[in-house]
Amino acid sequence: MNCRSEVLEVSVEGRQVEEAMLAVLHTILLHRSTGKFHYKKEGTYSIGTVGTQDVDCDFIDFTFVRVSSDELDRVIRKAVAEFKDALGNSGSDGMGQISLEFYQKKKSRWPFSDECIPWEVWSIKVNVVNLANEQERQICREKVGEKLGEKVINIVEVINRHDYLPKMPTQSEVDNVFDTSLKDVQPYLYKITYQITDSLGTSVSTTMRRLIKDTLAL
Amino acid sequence: MAHFDTEYQRLEASYSDSPPGEENLLVHVPEGSKSPWHHIENLDLFFQRISFKNGFTCMLLGEIFELVQLVFVVAFTVFLANCVDYDILFANKFVNHTDSSKVTLPDAFLPVDVCSARIRDSVLVIFILIISGVFWLHRLVKFIYNICCYWEIRSFYINALKMSMTDLPYFTWQEVQGRIIEIQKEHQICIHKKELTELDIYHRILRFKNYMVAMVNKSLLPVRFRLPLLGDTVFYTRGLKYNFELIFFWGPGSLFENEWSLKPEYKRGGNRLELADRLSSRILWIGIANLLLCPVILIWQILYAFFSYTEVIKREPGSLGARCWSLYGRFYLRHFNELDHELMSRLSKGYKASSKYMNCFMSPLLTVVAKNVAFFAGSILAVLIALTIYDEDVLAVEHVLSSITLLGICVTVCRSFIPDKHMVFCPEQLLKVILAHIHYMPDHWQGNAHRYETRDEFAQLFQYKAVSNVFILEELLSPVITPFILIFCLRRKSLEIIDFFRNFTVDVVGVGDTCSFAQMDVRQHGHPAWMSAGKTEASIYQQAEDGKTELSLMHFAITNPHWQPPRESTHFISLLKEKVHREANPAFTSTHSLQSDSEPHSLIANLLMGPPSLASLHLGREGSINPVSIGVSEGASALRALSPVSTSLHLRGSYPSARLPRPDHPAVVAGRAMAGSGTDARTISSGSSAWEGQLTSMVLSEYASTEMSIHALYMHEMHKQQSRGEVSRHAWHGQESDESSESVNEDMEAARTFPRSSTFPTTSHQAGAAQQSGSQRRYGGTSDPVSGSFRAQRTPRMPMGGWSEENQMSRHHDPVPEEGSEDELPPHIHKFCKVFHCE
Repeated sequence: MNCRSEVLEVSVEGRQVEEAMLAVLHTILLHRSTGKFHYKKEGTYSIGTVGTQDVDCDFIDFTFVRVSSDELDRVIRKAVAEFKDALGNSGSDGMGQISLEFYQKKKSRWPFSDECIPWEVWSIKVNVVNLANEQERQICREKVGEKLGEKVINIVEVINRHDYLPKMPTQSEVDNVFDTSLKDVQPYLYKITYQITDSLGTSVSTTMRRLIKDTLAL
Repeated sequence: MAHFDTEYQRLEASYSDSPPGEENLLVHVPEGSKSPWHHIENLDLFFQRISFKNGFTCMLLGEIFELVQLVFVVAFTVFLANCVDYDILFANKFVNHTDSSKVTLPDAFLPVDVCSARIRDSVLVIFILIISGVFWLHRLVKFIYNICCYWEIRSFYINALKMSMTDLPYFTWQEVQGRIIEIQKEHQICIHKKELTELDIYHRILRFKNYMVAMVNKSLLPVRFRLPLLGDTVFYTRGLKYNFELIFFWGPGSLFENEWSLKPEYKRGGNRLELADRLSSRILWIGIANLLLCPVILIWQILYAFFSYTEVIKREPGSLGARCWSLYGRFYLRHFNELDHELMSRLSKGYKASSKYMNCFMSPLLTVVAKNVAFFAGSILAVLIALTIYDEDVLAVEHVLSSITLLGICVTVCRSFIPDKHMVFCPEQLLKVILAHIHYMPDHWQGNAHRYETRDEFAQLFQYKAVSNVFILEELLSPVITPFILIFCLRRKSLEIIDFFRNFTVDVVGVGDTCSFAQMDVRQHGHPAWMSAGKTEASIYQQAEDGKTELSLMHFAITNPHWQPPRESTHFISLLKEKVHREANPAFTSTHSLQSDSEPHSLIANLLMGPPSLASLHLGREGSINPVSIGVSEGASALRALSPVSTSLHLRGSYPSARLPRPDHPAVVAGRAMAGSGTDARTISSGSSAWEGQLTSMVLSEYASTEMSIHALYMHEMHKQQSRGEVSRHAWHGQESDESSESVNEDMEAARTFPRSSTFPTTSHQAGAAQQSGSQRRYGGTSDPVSGSFRAQRTPRMPMGGWSEENQMSRHHDPVPEEGSEDELPPHIHKFCKVFHCE
């Protein structure tokens, strides 16, 4: 529980899903990334620079800003594409949720693996609508653009609050807080997961996992 | 997608990545995470483990012995069943010994190979062994996991809370909690807020317990049954409780998603019928599983009961007649937000009075029979013992030893039915004393303490050990009955349960989903008959029964004096405290004498000064004036006799006031103020160095419990009057209004004459603070961590964009707008506040 959770909800047309998700995820990551840290002697460090880039959407009247890191973009795109495929294949009424979770690692003693403790979770609920004709599409194009603009403002408001952020780590701990695998940018450790809500029930595997966890926790 | 490059480009630079020549200009120093205690993932469990507070070694040993016990019970049973030659033991078969004729124990054991062959041949034994082996392994894994957690908690105590393990027993929970709150400012163990409150910690520890207490309070759980022969009975065992918790809170497919949040679909009213259907089918499955496992559980229960209690019963058969608080009683009597140890210490204090009360009702018929049976059995026993003493060969005669044992048990049991010769029949007064400790009782007990119905109902809370959960009967029956209760009773309630969880769950920022009753908000869950009339906006469905909200609020405020309650609650608390003070302690008003007729009777003064007989004499005379204080002081004077606290109060508090009965003398003032309430004593003590140390906090928590007792008595008396007043409102109206106008004067007087009293400034300060933050809240900033520390928590989860509309619609507990609440207050509260603002 010890983590903030923010929920966004968007309704888009099928072909807009990818761009809308990219817009939201990139906006969040823009604010949750820093330049690369360069540690120096005496335990100090300097922060590298980060470039930004405007991205125009094809299916939505919208432009968003992202960190100009192609590597990061590739990772996000991959996750979003998977989500889109799953959404398309689910055959249900097109409800899905993609979550971006920022976490911190905590080193544990031997028998246990490192704990990943989330501190902020953004859940984006997607509702895919079907449109009948071109005119409606045109209206939707504009409306989704406006909505996304609102979301971006919301995200910035949330991020502007003075809330908990992991403390800046020392050199040895930097991997516990930041994702250092990228060459040009250093976001907080994050994880993108998605789920397609076809029904209320949870799958057997999650139930089993919970059962085991619960017995352990008892 | 087209990409437009802006001028904010990453510098394609060399290694150092900063502008040339400026390498050393912008340098950061990492803070690092010095303590491992920031941002703990599962605070619920973390706090729960902290609250055990037993010390690492204790927990470790306890867990190890539990494991060993399990192995022992299984192994020993198997051994007894398969490896003992009972013929030898009963001397039906003779052993051929060459050296001596004595039969030794090892002679009765079968040889190892025979024994193991017997075990291998029996399918049942193998089956039992496998089941228990799996169970044991499961326990072992849990044990290892727990030990790691305890170790972590131990280092938290030592490193973060700076308490060494040897000192731990000397710290009270309140101190530990205070330190946790301090720690939060530094380490931020909870990331939602800058500061934790006491209530947050309690909510996390008692999240599910609060739900259970509320469900028992609203009679949602099927634990009361009307049986054809036995009448009204309560059946609530540990097995049943475990199943309830499994169904609601943590079992597979339970209502809760994880430890801190209800599944979102249960928060919406839309598909409640469907959810109820699903719940009822789940209950059915769990019931069937219970039915299938029933034989295993039953065998285990029987074995366990046999091994643990047979020896006790043989040693002291009297324990069969002893009583203890039943499991149902513990839930019925528990306040919201009351930790286990707090509840147990409270109930234990009431134990003596309760067993006295129960003993009042010895049936004379039974007594006569018991006396005679005891006489006959005793005489045979005496002869047998005398013969044995004369020549111990008597023991060798068959069945002499067993008849001595049986007769002994018989005599002891009979003796428990013979009342104490010096017992006085005073059930009303005893019930008052009990009430002072247990804080809850149904309305119809009032004035009916002498009736058998009351006694029987009390017996449901305070059962014979032999019947209740601790001992044999119910716990043995439990595996058999539980599945039927689940299948036939609980399933019918599934819709109500779904509604309950939807209506009474609030999402508190930084805590998660909690039971809304546990917020102890008088406005939302107050009961008009319990002094919150005019303040409460709850419908009948939302009102907590038996004044649970009000009493819990008082209890929490008294045990956690640093807690800042929300505004309405502050009013409620201060009003009530002030009323109790006024009626309880004459020092606050005009003069000192007990006889002055404008003066209600001093409760604590009675408690401290004059001998009890004198005090009750006074009360007897003055009782006609104000029945409230009679009831209260009746209990209090009895309380005095029982409670160790009041004796210590007596020593400390009454000394100066008894000698120097002049109210202007500082010593008297201090003494009285101290005696007056735990809060006073606490604040005073914080100033004086003599009181520092660990002793203080222990003594103070004792004060707090006494103070709470007095408040509970007072509230029950008020409730009684109120409900009586509804019948004859006429008679009361005049007096009521008189009182309120009087109280203003008294307040002002108190404020003037008593500027250094410690409670009053605190109250006014609190009221002021609450008002201030209330107004801040009104202008937005719902999530401002400082001012929003109490009420603003209730905002639903971050409404972003359009999503939470549905959520809000379904939620019945949206924050009520602040406007207009000022006007609802009774007039004298207004004045009360104003007086102190002027000051």
